[in-house]
Amino acid sequence: MADHSTHREPTPRTLLRRVLDTADPRTPRRRRSARVGAQRALLETPSSRRLRSQTKMTAGGNPHGTKSSGRLVHAQASGHLEEQTPRTLLKNILLTAPESSILKPKSVVKPVPAPQVVPPSRRESSRGSPELQLPEPEPPTTLVPALLAPGRRKQRLRLSVFQQGVDQELPVSQEPRGNADASSLTSSLNLTFATPLQPQSVQRPGLARRPATRRAVDLGAFLQDLRDTSLASPNIVLEETQPFSQPLVGRSPGMRLSLPLPSHMRAKDTERATSRKTRSSGPAPRNSSPGKPAQFLAGKAEEVNALALGFPNTSSSISGPGVEPLQDGVGEEAEKRMEEEEKGLSLSEVKEATGARGPSGVEEPEGYMEVTEAEGSLGAVEAEEPEGSSEDEETSGRTASPELVSSTPEFLQPKQLHQLLEPAPPPGAAILSSEPLEPVSARLHPRPRAIGPRPRQDPYKTGLSHYAKLFSFYAKMPMEKKALEIVEKCLDKYFRHLCDDLEAFAAHAGRRTIKPEDLELLMRRQGLVTDQVSLHVLVERNLPLEYRQLLIPCAFSGNSVFPAQ
Amino acid sequence: MALSTTVSQKKQIKRRAPRGFLKRVFKLQKPHLRLEKSSDLLVHLSCLLFVHRLAEESRTNACENKCGIINKEHVLAAAKLTSCREGHKEE
Repeated sequence: MADHSTHREPTPRTLLRRVLDTADPRTPRRRRSARVGAQRALLETPSSRRLRSQTKMTAGGNPHGTKSSGRLVHAQASGHLEEQTPRTLLKNILLTAPESSILKPKSVVKPVPAPQVVPPSRRESSRGSPELQLPEPEPPTTLVPALLAPGRRKQRLRLSVFQQGVDQELPVSQEPRGNADASSLTSSLNLTFATPLQPQSVQRPGLARRPATRRAVDLGAFLQDLRDTSLASPNIVLEETQPFSQPLVGRSPGMRLSLPLPSHMRAKDTERATSRKTRSSGPAPRNSSPGKPAQFLAGKAEEVNALALGFPNTSSSISGPGVEPLQDGVGEEAEKRMEEEEKGLSLSEVKEATGARGPSGVEEPEGYMEVTEAEGSLGAVEAEEPEGSSEDEETSGRTASPELVSSTPEFLQPKQLHQLLEPAPPPGAAILSSEPLEPVSARLHPRPRAIGPRPRQDPYKTGLSHYAKLFSFYAKMPMEKKALEIVEKCLDKYFRHLCDDLEAFAAHAGRRTIKPEDLELLMRRQGLVTDQVSLHVLVERNLPLEYRQLLIPCAFSGNSVFPAQ
Repeated sequence: MALSTTVSQKKQIKRRAPRGFLKRVFKLQKPHLRLEKSSDLLVHLSCLLFVHRLAEESRTNACENKCGIINKEHVLAAAKLTSCREGHKEE
């Protein structure tokens, strides 16, 4: 053919161009089908020659090598495969060509060679990888015509580059060659280079996304921090302890409610004063968390007023030794406040408010007590400071104390109270008599105690109350609350009695497990189960159906009895 | 399991037996003993019957005193009767 003659000394470019021009997807098939044998022979020879020479430029072999399988089909194949096989040429082209271009045609090429003859298909596919660019026209129209066009353009461009760097993309070309879905694979290769990074990057945030662990508020450290930060602003102080923000918020209204009753809270005020002192340190840091300085200020103002009312009242109403300790307690608190204010550690806002109102209310009692109790109170204050030590801060602590009195999260209270009461009494003993402590402790103890045994009592009480409700239901008459309490007591006694009896019955039977027979015996002794009334009857009457099924053996289909006996 | 039943009394009663509660109390009382599977239901039954009797007695007492409300005195008296009766019957 004319091609042969012209292609004796073809450049790769011309060869490839020819390939592109003669793009005919069907040609290979037709020709192959017609010349399978010839093709195979041709293919074999090129493959062998490929091994020999892998140079890019060859006259004879180029046309064949560069050509697609279709080209091989050309008659040219017969004699022009000596030097350079088309395969090698195409390989080189692929090497030089950018991967993207290779990829597209590969995917395109793959389906086309696949259905073809097997032996040639193999080589074709292998060639197809190098031949990606060439066969573009062939398979392509059926598959991805769009890709072909850009591919062709890229090929032409690459042809120019083709001669330059062969080794650059050897590894890349090899892979596509071997892979059936070379194009896709290479594309995937490109992607794979990127994808591994992505998942890793994704994974890292996932791993790093650990839930922020909440660190428990360390009272000592916190208080120290509070001390250190003399400029503790209300926001900062309040924001630090987040977990307790809500309770305090809830407290403030309660506090306000409690404060407006100074008249009959006089005694309590004294108690509060002492309790505040002890509690202020503890709850202060926690109370500081909720950011509501305004409320604190208001509360404190009220508190100061209450105290102001309380001081003269206490001094006047209470007489004897009781006055002094009470006054001491009150004075101490006043002293503390003064000190705190003086220290300037309290919130600036609070300071102002308290400074405005505090002195007015506090000065009076202080005037009474300062001289006598200044030293003692100072000593007590100092002693207590290290313990509780949120006093430095606050006003918020002080305001918190009335809040505590009124309503506080119990879980905070008992701890604080324990902490404060324990150290408080020793230093406070000198100053505070037992009197103010006792009412305070007596009042405070139920709360901490309630928390300790609570898990025991509450469910127990709820369980008994369940039966108490049944009692009221059976009675069909309204009942007093106290009567219900008595019912619960009776039930408790009955339960203990029942356990003892069951233990005796089981021991009599030499068992350590309570069985329904023991229960039946018990009920028989109670007179509930008689010869006329059997246990099953009682079960039927009183228990719901589901329990009846569990207790009374019943025959089911398949000759089975449930529960099994 | 019927958690509650609406009664003509406008009261909702839980018919379920607090099995966990019963088991826990028994364990606290007698840790060296074991309860069998269905035994706690029978314990619940016995408690129910006990409460039933108590209620009947106290209602009787209240009606005798012509009170519309059950007082604790009625209940106390009823409790004495019931427990004494139990003890007596056991003997």
